[in-house]
Amino acid sequence: MATENKTEKNKFSRRKFLQRGAIVMGGTVVASYLGCSPLRRFAAQKVEGMDLPATISSFKPDFWFQVLADNSILMKSPKVEMGQGIFTGYAMMAAEELEVPLEQIKVEHASTGSGIIDVNGATGGSNSTLALFTPIREVAATMREMLKIAAAKKWGVKVETVSVKNGLLTSGTHSNTYAEISAETKDWEIPKTPILKDKSTFKYIGKTVKRVDLKAKVMATTKYTIDTELPEMLHAVTLESPYFEGKIKTIDLSKAEKSNDVVKVVRKDELVAVVAKTHYAALKAIEKIEVTWDVPKKWQQADMEAIVTVGKTKATNIQKEGKAASIIEDNQAEVFKQEYRTSIATHAPMEVFGSIAYVEKDKTTIIIGTQSPESIQKQVAKTLNINSDKVDVQVAFLGGGFGRKGSGRNASNAAILSQIVGKPVKLLPTREQEFQNSVYRPNSHHVLQAKIDKNGKIEAIIHDQATPDMILKMIAGDMAIKVMGADWVSAGHGASILYNVPNKTVNIWNTEVPYHASIWRGVGMFANTFAIESFMDELAVKTKKDPIAMRIELLKNGDELEKRMALALTTIQEKSSWNSVKPANIGRGIAICSDRKTVAVAVVEVEIVEGKIQVKSVVQALDVGFAVNPEGIRSQIEGATMMGISGALFEEVLVKDGQMAVTNYHEYPMATLADTPDIQSIILENSEEMYGVGEPPIAPIAPAIANAIFNLTGKRLRQLPLQKALDNYKELKV
Amino acid sequence: MKINFTVNGKPANLEIDPEMPLLWAIRDELKLTGTKFGCGKALCGACSVHVDGDLVRSCSYPVNLVEGKNITTIEGLSPDETHLHPIQEAWLELQVPQCGYCQPGFMMAAAKLLQENPNPTEDDIKANISNICRCGTHPRIIKAIMKASELQKIAKN
Repeated sequence: MATENKTEKNKFSRRKFLQRGAIVMGGTVVASYLGCSPLRRFAAQKVEGMDLPATISSFKPDFWFQVLADNSILMKSPKVEMGQGIFTGYAMMAAEELEVPLEQIKVEHASTGSGIIDVNGATGGSNSTLALFTPIREVAATMREMLKIAAAKKWGVKVETVSVKNGLLTSGTHSNTYAEISAETKDWEIPKTPILKDKSTFKYIGKTVKRVDLKAKVMATTKYTIDTELPEMLHAVTLESPYFEGKIKTIDLSKAEKSNDVVKVVRKDELVAVVAKTHYAALKAIEKIEVTWDVPKKWQQADMEAIVTVGKTKATNIQKEGKAASIIEDNQAEVFKQEYRTSIATHAPMEVFGSIAYVEKDKTTIIIGTQSPESIQKQVAKTLNINSDKVDVQVAFLGGGFGRKGSGRNASNAAILSQIVGKPVKLLPTREQEFQNSVYRPNSHHVLQAKIDKNGKIEAIIHDQATPDMILKMIAGDMAIKVMGADWVSAGHGASILYNVPNKTVNIWNTEVPYHASIWRGVGMFANTFAIESFMDELAVKTKKDPIAMRIELLKNGDELEKRMALALTTIQEKSSWNSVKPANIGRGIAICSDRKTVAVAVVEVEIVEGKIQVKSVVQALDVGFAVNPEGIRSQIEGATMMGISGALFEEVLVKDGQMAVTNYHEYPMATLADTPDIQSIILENSEEMYGVGEPPIAPIAPAIANAIFNLTGKRLRQLPLQKALDNYKELKV
Repeated sequence: MKINFTVNGKPANLEIDPEMPLLWAIRDELKLTGTKFGCGKALCGACSVHVDGDLVRSCSYPVNLVEGKNITTIEGLSPDETHLHPIQEAWLELQVPQCGYCQPGFMMAAAKLLQENPNPTEDDIKANISNICRCGTHPRIIKAIMKASELQKIAKN
């Protein structure tokens, strides 16, 4: 037990996270916890390899625990709940060391202005569980020991005689609840950080539990931003240019000003908004604004594809082993080369990304369901020209995130409007604005080349890919691109070739697009896995090998990660239909990826009915190393599988005449109940370490479907979305 | 314009713009926030409610059409927390929601489906509910409706 704990601490320290948590008892902060020294995760991970930074902004998870009068424990979560189930995972960790029933832990969002929680971390990168697995348990265990010491003092017994169970402290005939001891104790003794429970004694961690936010979500009492009200709150809608960099040419606000229940029509620089008594009145008035736009350039879809093309800019090498370039160059006649493209896509969360702002003389309150409270806080402070500590960002539950809800002008605009009208303002985008003025998964282009020797062995592979910058400029400015050449942290995410091929080279061609490229669930993995895993399937066909057997052969003698990949392939071969006789109407495909050391592998079966691709079944295995919340993991596998199917088959935002030619869901088809296959989730735990869950299982879906379509039809679809690629497929005349 | 109707068994008398979609009347005037705004064009189903037993996407349904009618929103689907509608019971059992935002609309659509077809097959469910969910709770929604159908039968026997 001691050894295991030590190992965990060492790992933790090596990762160099800053942690700070606090314990509040009897209404006072009585202990704070300072974990490891503050160092940069970004730099630490760069050393570890091609891992992504965990968050868009700096990573400083702060949290605190409080014993409430009803003996429940309030935990303020520094990570936001956007459906991924992190509140449940954290409650499980806390309940484990606090020795209370799971239902006794209440989880709420921390806010940037709650005194001791001065900084809040962004939520993303599939790292929320692993980042706080040790700190949360250490703070909880410390709190439990403090309660034991205080109880022992009160009763005049030795602390060793005090036991805890279900939030009750007991020694002989003495017995008090946590709340009672907490209320009566003035002087707290803080012990050294206790040794944590051994895995074998876990009651909650690793077990199937009910989500802590389940009941509220079924009874529809969960409060999202849109459901929150402040006294005297007004409602606003802004006018947004549907064009990239469109500027107002002419505008007539007079009809909007006369519209019913309008309080004020605001025009301040480029911000045009209606503030009204109700949301509906604001919507009605905004439609009465007569506006024409100056459009600097009428960008078209062909422009986006031309810009995002390998060879147009400068290559940044991110992987080089052996002499792939010269082997490919010298043997052009024997080189197998294919190109792949992925579409522009958007997040389309069911809740639009709105906010409430209330600017008062000495403080500003923002209520928003965001993945990045800290960057919203900074942005609002900058907009109002005040210090960040005057801005309290209170996080509401998110109606979906997927990378969408990090940045944007909404909160800052709401703050400007609140300042002008002197009242709280709720600013909601329309669904049309959510589609047209959002951030987007960028389109990508991939060129893969391989040289196969006469024995069918892959001698060399080159992957060249072009993807616009997704986050590098945003987090590190223009210099970052100049220094690093390309956004390898996101565009390059998943671009490397993990297979044991003696000669391999991967290059990223950075491109600049006129739309706002950003992170979409799975970051670079989605596009890169589609290209690489489709190409691997093509190589299997070309060398007449079974696609799973070929992959296992190329992985089994590798490092620990590659061995885990080989193991996951073996498992899925056994647990899916792969080895059974295939009906004539069914195509089978496989794809695998490793996303920040989580291994995701999927086998899909497809059918084509009247030209429509139907995914019939998906078996997905996810090797997470160590599973904290298995039911949460299953939900994430199912969710990522559905989003993967949606992205693979349907999703595409086209650029037309300088704007995004998608305004609402009818123009952006997504997977629905009718597209739902039978999904089987398999959790693998083939490592002592713990890895992320939310994003990895999305990446294998698109290539597995494309490979299954080839398996069924002999048609190789090399462009997403696949349904459109199939519709447009032309048989090549030989 | 004065409009009178009933919501979850309680009378509602509103002095209101007759063109205001029912969604905003329910949310902003009656402060029942379980019904969600999703798309504003009756495409996603997040705003689904029952109007005199019919399934309606309230974002595109003018409030003047509900004069004298009975509205049920998600808040009124179950009589109370100890007597849950089989749909909500099944939703709890199968842990359907993730972000939860689209779920009230799905539950209202599912309750209507069960009322019309107490024994739906998986294909019936797929063919009859076109609501949109982004988290990918679809597999659990399908299972939960099948489960609710069983629970409903048990309750009736």
